[in-house]
Amino acid sequence: MLKSKHITLGLFFMLAILSVVSLFVGVIDLNLRTLLQGDIEHLEIFLISRLPRLLAILCTGVGMSVAGLIMQQLCMNKFVSPSTGATISSAQFGILLALLFMPSSSLWGRALFAFAAAILGTWAFVYFIQKIQFKDVVMVPLVGIMFGNIIGGVTSYLAYKFEMTQALSSWLVGHFSLVIKGRYEIVYLVLPLVVLAFIFAGHFNIVGMGRDFSQNLGVNYNIVLFFGISIAAMITASVVVVVGSISYIGLIVPNVVAMFKGDNIKGTLLDTALFGGIFVLVCDMIGRVLIAPYELPIELIVGIVGSIIFVALLFYRLKNGRRSIRLKPSGSGCNTAPVMQGGQCE
Amino acid sequence: MLHIKNLTKRYSEKTVVDDVSFSIPKGKVISLIGPNGAGKSTVMGMISRLIAKDAGVVEFEGRDLSAWNSKELSKRLAILTQSNNIQMKLTVKELVTFGRFPYSGNHINEEDERIIQRAISYMELEEFQDRFIDELSGGQRQRAYIAMVIAQDTEYILLDEPTNNLDIYHATNMMKIVRRLCDELGKTVILVLHEINYAAFYSDYICAFVNGKIARFGTVEEVITKENLSEIYGVNFEIQTIAGKPLSIYY
Amino acid sequence: MNAAVKKANQKKIAVLIALTVVASVLYLFVSVNMKYFEYAMSLRAPKLIVMLITAFCIGSASIVFQSIINNTIVTPCLLGMNSLYTLIHTAVVFFLGSGSLIARNTNLSFVVDLVLMGCSATLIYSYLFKKTNHNMLYVLLVGTIMSTFFSSIQTTLTRVMDPNEYDSLLATLVASFSNVNASIVAVSLVLMAIIIVALRRELALLDVITLGKDQAINLGVDYDKTIRRLLLGVTLFIAIATAMVGPVSFMGLIVANLSRQLFKTYRHTYLILGSGLIGMLILVGGQLIVEHVFTYSVPISVFITVGGGIYFLYLLLKQRRA
Repeated sequence: MLKSKHITLGLFFMLAILSVVSLFVGVIDLNLRTLLQGDIEHLEIFLISRLPRLLAILCTGVGMSVAGLIMQQLCMNKFVSPSTGATISSAQFGILLALLFMPSSSLWGRALFAFAAAILGTWAFVYFIQKIQFKDVVMVPLVGIMFGNIIGGVTSYLAYKFEMTQALSSWLVGHFSLVIKGRYEIVYLVLPLVVLAFIFAGHFNIVGMGRDFSQNLGVNYNIVLFFGISIAAMITASVVVVVGSISYIGLIVPNVVAMFKGDNIKGTLLDTALFGGIFVLVCDMIGRVLIAPYELPIELIVGIVGSIIFVALLFYRLKNGRRSIRLKPSGSGCNTAPVMQGGQCE
Repeated sequence: MLHIKNLTKRYSEKTVVDDVSFSIPKGKVISLIGPNGAGKSTVMGMISRLIAKDAGVVEFEGRDLSAWNSKELSKRLAILTQSNNIQMKLTVKELVTFGRFPYSGNHINEEDERIIQRAISYMELEEFQDRFIDELSGGQRQRAYIAMVIAQDTEYILLDEPTNNLDIYHATNMMKIVRRLCDELGKTVILVLHEINYAAFYSDYICAFVNGKIARFGTVEEVITKENLSEIYGVNFEIQTIAGKPLSIYY
Repeated sequence: MNAAVKKANQKKIAVLIALTVVASVLYLFVSVNMKYFEYAMSLRAPKLIVMLITAFCIGSASIVFQSIINNTIVTPCLLGMNSLYTLIHTAVVFFLGSGSLIARNTNLSFVVDLVLMGCSATLIYSYLFKKTNHNMLYVLLVGTIMSTFFSSIQTTLTRVMDPNEYDSLLATLVASFSNVNASIVAVSLVLMAIIIVALRRELALLDVITLGKDQAINLGVDYDKTIRRLLLGVTLFIAIATAMVGPVSFMGLIVANLSRQLFKTYRHTYLILGSGLIGMLILVGGQLIVEHVFTYSVPISVFITVGGGIYFLYLLLKQRRA
């Protein structure tokens, strides 16, 4: 128990230090002294660009990883996430619809469309995999990726047809370079949604153990499933509207954390959120430093780093059997872990 | 002749076949038996060049297996394993035709055609010959594969657990076919078997493996005794002689 | 194969050839302005040839690949082979500089790309098959991820090369259906002929290889060597197709499976020919429709992605039920 707290504290301090570092990385040299001296110009850059960017990054990292964790828990499959569960492509589809039908819509209007599409798309996918009950765990992400491909194909069909490809392109490859004051505040929606996830973590845990198990404990399986998937979809949609598509975070962060801390969502939720923030912060800094003064979109960095980690996870799992991708016994007394690991019917 | 000398196979740290030597008598049925993980299937795999050996020699007709041209070898020695999941649309006759591949490639001549028809009728598959093999029952499919091996016309036939997944009727028929391959067609048949009584009733020699080593090798009467089997399998055995063969009961 | 089936299959091939010829002629001549006949031909003829070559490459490579890994829902492009080629091409320009001799000579750079592709792809994919123990679902998942991986690096390289104009740079680096690369037609045809002649013995073994590894070895096939050489051929064919029209992921899946459904046989002569012809028909016919009905606004690759994705899900579910 004590050791588990240490990890959490360590992650917290790391995130804090990286956040501060991130504030002072950029084209224009900012430093603490000029800021404190009250240099108006520098203070403006700080408030209009740097701080919003940091906050957006934190919200993205925390939000996407929590969304991934919820989806994995509810679907009983380690490979489900917003990017392998058609959520991101559905949100993009929603944004395109908003651009088509309400060309003058505000950010909030687009967000509304993205919410609706993301929830519907994810629900269709979850309904599909629950209905079919795949024997092999890997089938589920495969179907999800294909689902996403099809929705993405329809999106690009409509975009070409109505000559919206240019307008849409900024949502296809996720990046933080347009995050400035006044254009990103929707991403704050992630906060209350993550708080909701914390409150209902126990319920998600129970539903993750299966329909019969939750019925036995008096938890309404369908309602909690619907509620949880909707939260995950809404978190994803709020991130996609502001930043664009960012794959893999929701897939990798929860898996890495689970390797060290086990699968009890109550014990891992906080660490997953913290580690998600760190992961995106680091990727963002790489993207900003690599070809300074230009910057690489975060999606590319996450795409490269993320695929390597993910393939390593897969090979690790393949080598060490299907039961677990975990290194140490759980630190939070999670004796139900074996039931929840792996896939639907293992 | 087939001589196995000091055959060894390791998977990372674990030695699954440990310094195994024996000789296969020609024109007989030889069964390899033993508990799970004793290494009998691995030995079979190495004898048939499907599995690479780590040490030792498999001497076939005076030359090591690895010195043989793969095509020439396939005219002398045939192996049938359990991993026969074909996703292609293939009829029974087409499958049997593949048995002539080592001789004539993709273009079969009239003599090949005769041999194929003989193999099909030997296995009593005439009425199925134009059916797709994925539409057949397990027993029929197994017979189709045996027909292919017969068409391959080799002196040695290696069968890896041929009775697996078959019910008692089809499994017993399979063992009778094995006996006929030896008695009527003069083939040397080497089998991996789980069912001790099939091995005792239908083979001439038995080679029993334990922990990657040969525990006993000899005629059926020499190997199938109460003491031997109890030692090999670690459970109690009783032997009764039925139809002149030592059959075992274990409990 | 009995005589009736053989005849029926030959007839199907003939019909496919006829349809492909009709589609090609239509593509060349539909609504040509006679005043600018020559100009129109100089645009349409190279594009037609490119499409025919591409379709044949993807179709035949997909069938061969499916047979050597003994699975009908996996194709080389689903495993990211085409993204790997665009990455290699971009990397060559990146490291040698766009002004270098190799990068300026289209044919030379194409050959350099092919050599690199042949080496790296056989290495990567043999390793992948070995590491996943030929577990096809894992191969597919890792392959899909590698697709993202390769294209992420490729986009990153383009952005690093020219952060201001990466979009136009990307368009000149990577071909697409609206911007086909016809300058390598001659080299490609020669290469394809060489590859086919060099692999004629291995191609003749394909029928036996579909029986599975154990059976193929039993029948005297030098399995590992044959598979290695065929895999090399597949990667080169995919590279040729990608160099000409850019990555098209689901094309191979559609044509290979349609061919398998149409010719219910294991004979690769028919499967490969059929798959190539179906590919030609889909590409040329599809492009015809795209150009005259949608008047160019939607590229044909979008339709192939949507159609192919749905078809893939259908195959996955069908196979699961079987």
